[in-house]
Amino acid sequence: MYEPKIIGFLCNWCSYAAADLAGTSRIQYPSNMRAIRVMCSSRIDPEHVLRAFVNGADGVLIAGCHPGDCHYISGNYKTERKYVLMRKMLEQFGIDPRRLRLEWCSSAEGGKFAQVVTEMTEELRTLGPIQLGAGD
Amino acid sequence: MVGSVMVVGGGIAGMQASLDLADSGFRVYLVDKAPTIGGVMAQLDKTFPTLDCSMCIMAPKLVATGRHHNIHLLTNADIINVEGNPGNFTVTVKMNPRFVNAEKCTGCGLCAQYCPVEAVNEYDERLTLRRGIYVDYPQAVPLVYAIDREKCIGCGLCENICQAEAIEYDQTPSEEKVNVGAIILAAGFDEFEPDTKKEYGYGRFKNVVTATEFERILSASGPFAGHVVRPSDGEIPKRIAFLQCVGSRDEKSNKYCSAVCCMYATKEAIIAKEHNPDLEATIFFMDMRTYGKGFEQFYQRAQSEYGLSYIRSRVPCIEENPETQNLLLTYETEDGTITKAEFDMVVLSVGLEPPKSSQELSTVFGVPLNDYGFLDWKIFEPLKAKEGIYACGAFSGPKDIPDTVAQASGAAAMASGVISGERGTLVEEKVYPQEIDVAEQQPRIGVFVCWCGINIGGIVNVPEVMEYASTLPNVVFVDQNLYTCSQDTQEKIKQAVEEHNLNRVVVASCTPRTHEPLFQSTIREAGLNPYLFEMTNIRDQCSWVHMHTPEEATEKAKDLVRMAVAKSNLLEPLKSSSVEVTQSGLVIGGGIAGMTAALGLAQQGFTVHLVEKEDHLGGLLRSIRFTMSGEDPQEYLATLEQSLRDHPNVHIHTGTTVERIDGYVGNFTTALSSGEEIRHGICVVAVGGQEHKPASYLYGKDERVVTQLEFEDMLSKGVKAKTVVMINCVESRDDTKEYCSRVCCSEAVKNALKLKEKNPDTNVYILYRDMRTYAFREQYYDRARENGIVFMRYDPETKPRLEKKGESLVLYAHDAALDLDFELHPDLVVLSTGVSPYDNSALSQMLKVPLDRDGFFLEAHMKLRPVDFATDGVFMAGLAHSPKFIDETISQAYGAVARACTIISKERIETEPIIAEVDEELCCGCQVCIPMCPYNARELDEEENIVKVNEVLCKGCGSCVAACPSGAAQQRHFRDNQLSSMIEAFVRR
Amino acid sequence: MDKLKFAFYWAASCGGCEIAVLDIDEKILDVVEKADIVFWPVALDIKYKDVEAFQDKYIDVCFFNGAIRTSEHEEMAHLLRAKSKTLVAFGACACFGGIPGLANVSDRDEIFNLVYKELPSVSNPDETTPQETYSAPEGELTLPQFFDTVKALHQVCDVDYFLPGCPPTPELIEQALTAIFEGTLPPKGSTLAPEKALCEECPLEIQEKKIPFIKRPYQVIPDGKRCLLEQGIVCMGINTRAGCGARCIKANMPCRGCMGPTPEVTDQGAKLVSAIASILGVEGEERMTEKEVEALIDQIKDPLGTFYRYTLPISLLRRKVMKK
Repeated sequence: MYEPKIIGFLCNWCSYAAADLAGTSRIQYPSNMRAIRVMCSSRIDPEHVLRAFVNGADGVLIAGCHPGDCHYISGNYKTERKYVLMRKMLEQFGIDPRRLRLEWCSSAEGGKFAQVVTEMTEELRTLGPIQLGAGD
Repeated sequence: MVGSVMVVGGGIAGMQASLDLADSGFRVYLVDKAPTIGGVMAQLDKTFPTLDCSMCIMAPKLVATGRHHNIHLLTNADIINVEGNPGNFTVTVKMNPRFVNAEKCTGCGLCAQYCPVEAVNEYDERLTLRRGIYVDYPQAVPLVYAIDREKCIGCGLCENICQAEAIEYDQTPSEEKVNVGAIILAAGFDEFEPDTKKEYGYGRFKNVVTATEFERILSASGPFAGHVVRPSDGEIPKRIAFLQCVGSRDEKSNKYCSAVCCMYATKEAIIAKEHNPDLEATIFFMDMRTYGKGFEQFYQRAQSEYGLSYIRSRVPCIEENPETQNLLLTYETEDGTITKAEFDMVVLSVGLEPPKSSQELSTVFGVPLNDYGFLDWKIFEPLKAKEGIYACGAFSGPKDIPDTVAQASGAAAMASGVISGERGTLVEEKVYPQEIDVAEQQPRIGVFVCWCGINIGGIVNVPEVMEYASTLPNVVFVDQNLYTCSQDTQEKIKQAVEEHNLNRVVVASCTPRTHEPLFQSTIREAGLNPYLFEMTNIRDQCSWVHMHTPEEATEKAKDLVRMAVAKSNLLEPLKSSSVEVTQSGLVIGGGIAGMTAALGLAQQGFTVHLVEKEDHLGGLLRSIRFTMSGEDPQEYLATLEQSLRDHPNVHIHTGTTVERIDGYVGNFTTALSSGEEIRHGICVVAVGGQEHKPASYLYGKDERVVTQLEFEDMLSKGVKAKTVVMINCVESRDDTKEYCSRVCCSEAVKNALKLKEKNPDTNVYILYRDMRTYAFREQYYDRARENGIVFMRYDPETKPRLEKKGESLVLYAHDAALDLDFELHPDLVVLSTGVSPYDNSALSQMLKVPLDRDGFFLEAHMKLRPVDFATDGVFMAGLAHSPKFIDETISQAYGAVARACTIISKERIETEPIIAEVDEELCCGCQVCIPMCPYNARELDEEENIVKVNEVLCKGCGSCVAACPSGAAQQRHFRDNQLSSMIEAFVRR
Repeated sequence: MDKLKFAFYWAASCGGCEIAVLDIDEKILDVVEKADIVFWPVALDIKYKDVEAFQDKYIDVCFFNGAIRTSEHEEMAHLLRAKSKTLVAFGACACFGGIPGLANVSDRDEIFNLVYKELPSVSNPDETTPQETYSAPEGELTLPQFFDTVKALHQVCDVDYFLPGCPPTPELIEQALTAIFEGTLPPKGSTLAPEKALCEECPLEIQEKKIPFIKRPYQVIPDGKRCLLEQGIVCMGINTRAGCGARCIKANMPCRGCMGPTPEVTDQGAKLVSAIASILGVEGEERMTEKEVEALIDQIKDPLGTFYRYTLPISLLRRKVMKK
């Protein structure tokens, strides 16, 4: 069976902690995601997302603190706007915007984190491997 | 004198006090009865009014407390004796055995997986079970397991499974004597136990729960993983009732108001509603006491946005339908009709009681308790238990988290004030060897893969991962460890670094959030810069979550190691730079907040400039004639002013305003209207507020209509009136001012009682919307009713009307409780108009700090940073922040002192190593980065047309770096090439 | 000293770069004095086979403008590379793909269908589209292959220098020629333009980079004083190389990015998405609902076309995913 590959950019304070909590709670989820820890989700710029796709990621997850909870006060609002614009542009590139996902996971939401990865993996399975068109 | 402080209680108050003390040069012993710190806040799902995730905002403080080299945790401990005097106490602490060696335990949790014994989980409010060997919650500090010997059957399974050999069944209690200069009591509170209120059926009816139980039910980490279901059958409740004042404002249990329940019930109802939008949530209450900053707006939103129902009624009893286990409430509505309603679940908003240990603490420390069993304190000394011993948080009365945190910092300031001369004498600094210069070296990477007992090794094929790591570019050494975090492994890592000339180290084990500092410290001991370290998480985010697919887990672990190695190739040593600090303070505003802050800073040994725009000190306190508890404010003010004038460290600038403020934390320069220029390291904003002057109720048109402060002045001179009517919430909680001014209800009661005391025959009416005499102020409300003061509630839709008929004043009022119209003929009308901020816009711009929507200053974080601004080095206290009482203002002012001392107690401030930087060759001065920074760390150098990073202010989030369009900005340790290297290594090639 | 041998070639281009060479005015006389032009299809009748006959490295400097659109362009790129000591990608199209590169949102079939069949002004009842080979009575006729994907010059052969701009400005051309004649060219691979972004030389005033809305140029008359981006007009000057003298901005038009990205930027469009989404709506962001954020971002009508106007072929994704 085709197994999608996912890069997950996780903020240090909430979503990485949520991923840790999923572990301490032994919540099982598919092993398709590889995490890259950043201090704040706002560090991620669309170039990283495109680079992930170009380097073989079928999906990219960005996870941060809930709106209002950002450890750096307001970083996640920027993340959200970048994400919305990015999705719009991905569509123009012919890439299904569902391949890019933004989620808010608090450090108490281990279950939610596991669910997000599970859902995303399943969705990407139905979307199939990413196609990037180089043409001739 | 001894330069250390003992803090008793490791909840949020104890942690905050400890951190402030430890960060300003004192050694701290933090004692907690429980095996872990964290207190009640660790149990909460979210916090009001911002609905922040409680654990998210608290975890950084937990970790900081656990890691601080100057905070010594004494958990599972009781205090049995105290001797000595302020400045030099000897405290005897009994260390109870946890039967697990704290040095050896790695917190891996294997023991608990194998333990066959089940016990009630107190952390989950008895809704779940835990094992006989346990840790309260996953993020616990210290992360060391403990054996519950009452439950333990001594089977020895944990001892056999623990490969760290940490189990010690034969531990016995021991005693430790600790020498400290001051003591802070932060013992918190215990909940009212509703079993005694038989009428509510708690304990008999499964679907009647306490608010704390409901908090756990709401929590994603709670018993039902965040699914809001009722305990009896796991069904999703469609109708939930919240009963307020259970164990509060109650003749039979506690007379006082618990101060937080109205807000937490509203919060819990909102969260429940967010889980299930179809939920009908009803809150039964007497007075809605949403008095704090942002609370009233929260209450309004609860109704308008979330559709919560509020019913003003005290429910006398609950019955259960035995078939459905639904609950039947019979209650009397305000119009007198008896109504029955069925609910699927009932939440009891249980009150806050003194901690069970309060009597014991009182005896051991010799500190007084009040009638309710909380610590007793005086209005002008709200933090003092007795000389050298201070108190904060709910131990001195029910209060919410921000008030608790402000008090905790305040108590830290009081405690360190006693021993300020000993600052720095007991601080331990770890000495590391000279760093090896790796700049010209090819990367030589060592990879250490951890078994974590069988936590990782039982799933992930560790030898295979290790073997794979050895094939990666520039990896010259690989090893596997049973426990990479154990003491002997640290030695192994150091040896490997030395023997193989490693200049990068990668550890694949658990989470960097807890263990990175340990390994960084290890490689520092081996002469490497701590930032030449990279960690990847193959336990929490791999072996533990892919337990049934070991091959996949092994592949993932390899990928993660490859990504970490890729990044480590590009790691650079990071250094923090340091900036000199002007070790003095500026306090803006010479009211009670500013005066207290100035004196506090002076007592800590720092020069302080106190600037006041009026010609005299005192601010709003000059208008206060009485206090509820009978002290004389003017006498206190005079003493305080004298102490300031006598103190050599204090420079008072009255009749002076601030014209310009330049600089940043540690290095401000302020120009005063007097032409003077002051250099200072911190700034406290204590500009106060003013009594609102209304435009309604004939105020200003008829001299028989006055405000509360004007009336207070009249009272001090003598009032002749047969009938006095007070109207509360005038131009408050409405379109003029959305917020509640917190103090007016109590102010009205205070003045009414004073009037009755002076003229017992005067008829006094108080027209109110909700009486918000929270916490112990409830007793004065009780007394007022006993003294014949008439309380009449009005609704905002049927506000009282005041008219002038001939020469007489006529007041038409509709009593909402009786649903009757009244006509009163007052000789005097007193308006409770609330507190307004001054126009703070100029100062907010000068300091580059924000105001809230009401015009008060906006703190860095509503919950946990109530006296800080997001901009470092600027603090606030008093009415500048929001309306509050004198004791609260004093607490907050001392809080600002403690927070300021964490900066000006140091000669130099160290910058964070992970911060943003700018390549000046590339920056074009477009300034996109500037509005990204909430800390004002980005500033344009106009001469060079380049935006620079103020390294002292930068917190290293990287949002400016991502926003920088030209690639001129980079974040150290998270550079684009470092992140890209991980992305490029993501797929095995 | 012997005269230098210059060559000029145009691939997929509009011809503007050819004119730009003449825009250096009387300085062209200096050029003629110091250089012989050995190949210049637009001006001299020299055949490809003549070029093929040159010895390798016969040409001292070849200015190659236009993108690689067809197999002919690619062949000429390889040929001129072999015959030239120094190959300069001249103009935005050769450097980045340029405006023709925007065709990478479609492919050959789509383009042929549109251009030869679907456009309302086309009358082509037989629905003929260009064929690579055609058997005519006189023999077999061939046309170059039309590629699906437009490329920049350095994506098909090794390039020594990049001289960006649409077209390169006379000043930059002059500077490049001076460097060539004086032998002061920077290291191979350099771009012959400043490293900083355009804001460096932009005359407009920066007040505060918080933008509450996006306006398209036709919707607003800029005030001529304040930074265009701050007036809500998407201006790419924030990460487009300086060196053009802010010509468009002085004409009250925003920068469209023809000088290409600054050196540290890999993907100009992605970086612009990051910057502009970051500052758009930053004021009051904490009060904005998800819907309001969507509506705000929706004011940017065509992010791909706007942010990759000149650089789509050299971006990370290079083109739209082809329908297969």
